[in-house]
Amino acid sequence: MIGIVVVSHSDALARAAVELALQMGGDAPPAIEIAAGVEGGFGTDAVAIAAAIDRAAGEDGVLVVMDLGSAILSAEMATEFASSTARVVLSPAPFVEGLIAAVVLAAAGADLDTVAAEARGGLSAKLDQLGSPEPATARESAEAPTGAASESHFDAVIDNPSGLHARPAALFVKAASRHDAVVQLADLDRGGAPVPGRSLIALMALGVRPGTRIRVSASGPEARAALDELRALVEDGFGER
Amino acid sequence: MAGDATTRDLIGWIERFHDLVREHQAELTELDSVIGDADHGSNLARGMDAVVAKVQADAPTTPADLFKTVGMTLVSTVGGASGPLYGTFFLRFGGSAGAAEALDATALGAALRAGLDGVVARGKAAPGDKTMIDALTPAADAWDAAAASGASVLDAASAARDAAREGRDSTIPLVARKGRASYLGERSAGHLDPGAASTTLLIEALADALATS
Repeated sequence: MIGIVVVSHSDALARAAVELALQMGGDAPPAIEIAAGVEGGFGTDAVAIAAAIDRAAGEDGVLVVMDLGSAILSAEMATEFASSTARVVLSPAPFVEGLIAAVVLAAAGADLDTVAAEARGGLSAKLDQLGSPEPATARESAEAPTGAASESHFDAVIDNPSGLHARPAALFVKAASRHDAVVQLADLDRGGAPVPGRSLIALMALGVRPGTRIRVSASGPEARAALDELRALVEDGFGER
Repeated sequence: MAGDATTRDLIGWIERFHDLVREHQAELTELDSVIGDADHGSNLARGMDAVVAKVQADAPTTPADLFKTVGMTLVSTVGGASGPLYGTFFLRFGGSAGAAEALDATALGAALRAGLDGVVARGKAAPGDKTMIDALTPAADAWDAAAASGASVLDAASAARDAAREGRDSTIPLVARKGRASYLGERSAGHLDPGAASTTLLIEALADALATS
């Protein structure tokens, strides 16, 4: 599993952001290390960030999520100080959205590049929700459409009280990520292209409300097992009923 | 009259920079309150307090040791963007100066240039972006020109100081393109850049320290 380093000017902000992210990816979370604040005040410290990178580093690498300004300069400098040989990726993701996506995907066992790409797409759910003309990158990146021959699917109605919001979406992503299968989810009521089932951001961007009919499709060696687990999850109302 | 700069002279530079930052702390913060987040003076003062405490507790014996201590201490204590920027300047300066017992004008100019290159690489600013390199670049250029014509370290430092002051003042009409000030866009014009102001103090401190050595 990859490690995650959280860099912020504010220790309180970093702790709260991590707590929020763990609400969604918390069962078996990745190693998360915080490097935030300087001498009890606001600021960032490249030496402290380097130490956090070394603590979080495993064989699978480290993603560094940071807020703004000097956090970026200090994180860049920290990569020169860190003694770990693990690969380190500095994420340009928005701080909160990127951290949540990263923690969920990392907890599901995704590799560094996958987690980094998902975090970077962290604004797309908000852009979609607010009707921004900018395209949602997470929808477009994604597992390629699959051949119909090997594909199977099930249809279901989302009937948990809050729809496919962040926490259920995170559970969906984790279940979809456990299997060697390409999983997609489509909103049958609204139409539109299916989105990748391993992308928290893309699922949240769909904005699926209670009562919506969805189609979950899967292909690949473990498609059947993936569909069985996801069907059980949806029919159980994501544990919210 | 100064000959080549010894480690003792360079410690004097750092102590003088600390004094100047303390003296101008309110002014730097005032400049930063107009186009930034009003912490440049206090951040740099806190960092230089820590630097001087360390250097006086355990006097470094080579330029490389001195500037490693200065750079790493600033990185860990300043907090704002000037931490990694000044930190990089001093680490690269020390890397260039090495363990030489005394540095002549050419060697000091090379160290200054290495520091400048480090700041540019770290901050990715270009001349005219209204940053510290608008003072540091002309200072390094003036130093090199003086050294090439055979000037002493003191004369090279005086030329660099004058060029830094001119570069600092040239930031007034500029529109900021880096850092917090860039959020203001056109409204950043008409104000002196605080980073260029503190960098000018740095070069002034070097000229002062060499003049009294």
